Amino acid sequence: MRTLPRSPIGLKDAAVDLRGVTRLFGAAPALVRVDLAIERGEAVVLRGPNGAGKSTLLRIVATALSPTYGGGSVLGFDLADAREEIRRRSELLTHRTRLYEELTARENLELFADLLGIHHDLVHGALERVALVDVADERVRTFSAGMRQKVAVARAIVRDAELLLLDEPTTGLDEAARSAVDEMMLHASREGRTLVIATHHAVAPGLAARVVTLRDGFVEAGS
Amino acid sequence: MTLAHQATLIARKDLLIEVRGRHALGTLLPFAATVLVAFGFAFGPGRDVLERVAPGLLWMAVLFSAVMASRRAYQTESEDGALEGLLLAPIDKAAVFLGKAFAVTVELLALVIAVLLLVIVLFDLSVANPFLVLAAFVLGAIGLAAVGSLFGVVAESARTREAIFPMLVLPLVAPVLIAGVRATDLAAAGRSSEVLSWLGLLAAFDVVFLSVGVLVFGYLLED
Amino acid sequence: MAATAERALGKATSRSGEHLLGIAALVALGVSAVLSLVVAPPDSVQGEVQRIMYVHVPAAWLAYLSFFVVFIASIAYLKTRRTRWDRVAAASAEIGVLFTSLAIVLGMLWGKPVWGTWWTWDPRLTTTAVLLLIYIAYLAIRRITDNPSRRARWAAVIGIVGFIDVPIVHLSVVWWRSLHQGPTVFRLGGPEIGGTMLLALLVALAAFTITYAYLMTLRLRVGRLEERAAREALSPLVGAER
Repeated sequence: MRTLPRSPIGLKDAAVDLRGVTRLFGAAPALVRVDLAIERGEAVVLRGPNGAGKSTLLRIVATALSPTYGGGSVLGFDLADAREEIRRRSELLTHRTRLYEELTARENLELFADLLGIHHDLVHGALERVALVDVADERVRTFSAGMRQKVAVARAIVRDAELLLLDEPTTGLDEAARSAVDEMMLHASREGRTLVIATHHAVAPGLAARVVTLRDGFVEAGS
Repeated sequence: MTLAHQATLIARKDLLIEVRGRHALGTLLPFAATVLVAFGFAFGPGRDVLERVAPGLLWMAVLFSAVMASRRAYQTESEDGALEGLLLAPIDKAAVFLGKAFAVTVELLALVIAVLLLVIVLFDLSVANPFLVLAAFVLGAIGLAAVGSLFGVVAESARTREAIFPMLVLPLVAPVLIAGVRATDLAAAGRSSEVLSWLGLLAAFDVVFLSVGVLVFGYLLED
Repeated sequence: MAATAERALGKATSRSGEHLLGIAALVALGVSAVLSLVVAPPDSVQGEVQRIMYVHVPAAWLAYLSFFVVFIASIAYLKTRRTRWDRVAAASAEIGVLFTSLAIVLGMLWGKPVWGTWWTWDPRLTTTAVLLLIYIAYLAIRRITDNPSRRARWAAVIGIVGFIDVPIVHLSVVWWRSLHQGPTVFRLGGPEIGGTMLLALLVALAAFTITYAYLMTLRLRVGRLEERAAREALSPLVGAER
């Protein structure tokens, strides 16, 4: 378990602490005054219909988007001022796999590892865990959606981030891929990682998760 | 993990993708060749005129190719949302800019050499001082690549229209066009001493745009 | 209670300040018109045509001043993230594009009788033309980006990069043109400006600068209203002040 220096802020060690987060796209609100608190090591499932704002919320926590109003902290680091610190410690997994078509699976992962200063050995281990070793040296362009998602999962394994943000990680995947994702989540949770998962599907059994429901950009009371 | 190291990783990735995807070879080179032949039809067949305008036409072809190459450099990032991956990676965002600028420069130079040979043949351009001509192209390519790699982000992001990218780039690179054509013209005619001040201007442009690009690129990438 | 009073006072002052500027601009322009068209003597070589200078030069001055303001406001926005600086940059760009176009058109109108052609790639006019293109790109990017924070950020980058580019463009055009120096070169300013002509020019410059300030206050007020309207449209949902 690679440890990074803990954030300077305090005793109440929240993984996610959002206050009054509102995000507009043009004039359309995607999230409205969302407050969200997640403890370290917790697993939280975001539920809600399409367009409820789940993806937007995850992307704000990941710092891929900034809030239009409001703010907060992730892993103790401020959303506005310390984005790179948050990025160093979190991993976002969505259906956009962020892979380069012309590179092989292994090359994609090794590039990622190099940029983050992670040793290549971990790449091979991750490829084994998602059962992609035989196709590791094929270009991603030839991969199916399920295989690409597995590469993304492998990337998350290599990363071993403190905070895992997953947006519909199992949609469109076959049985094998889905269990790879579940396995990764369970493993991460056992290791004390914080998980936030947005999904319509059932979450891996064995993952004791709190449910937060979103609707039209609002967090529903009682979540 | 220094800026230079990160930039090198990204440049290498871009060049590897380029070599495998063969975009430069398959699209840019035919495009540049077609442009030059078309210019030949438009201004020829009299040798005099063609010889006079050869440097200008050459640089026009390089300019258009630079716009296409820069745009292409970011298209590979938007295929699977890879650009967001670079944003979320805890790397220096300026490394993305420098890496891409370097990769585009290399592509342009490869193109220039091919096109230069073509022009010498088609337009009967006699070159008294080839080294100075090459120097002009190297410095010019760096400048074009820098501006293109800076604003390429804008070109590839959602909801921007096609024409905005050339609209941004072309006025800004006017000095490169002016200085490049002058330098090539003078170098081809053998007036070496006058070439040096134009090369100096190109070099100054490069330094300014690379420095400013490093400072502001992050702002273009964030959302 | 005190806060609302302060805000009301602020509004009153800025409104009357705006009116004052407007009157000052009008008066200054009037004085300038009299000086330029009546008091100053016609040019010995170019004749009455030369009077275009009293509008062309101030317009060109404002073109560059506006862009400088865009530059400073853009840096301020990126540093502080306060939307007020984005408003200033946008306002200055809009006003700037008007004066830049005016400067170019007047330059051409002046050039036709003096040089015999509409356009001779005069270094200053050419640089101003490139400036216009950069302005247009700046405004275009603002128009097509719908996300306000992204629009402000991208525009700020263009404002900064564009401004830094302009001196380089100018230098390259000056060198470029020096290769084709004709035997007689008409400087748009005429061989020499002295005495009354210089006074008229300086007054014109001052008058236009005051006009710029006035137009800025107008445009900024509109900008604030636009922002307030947008926020009020969302307030049932949002209610938060930034």
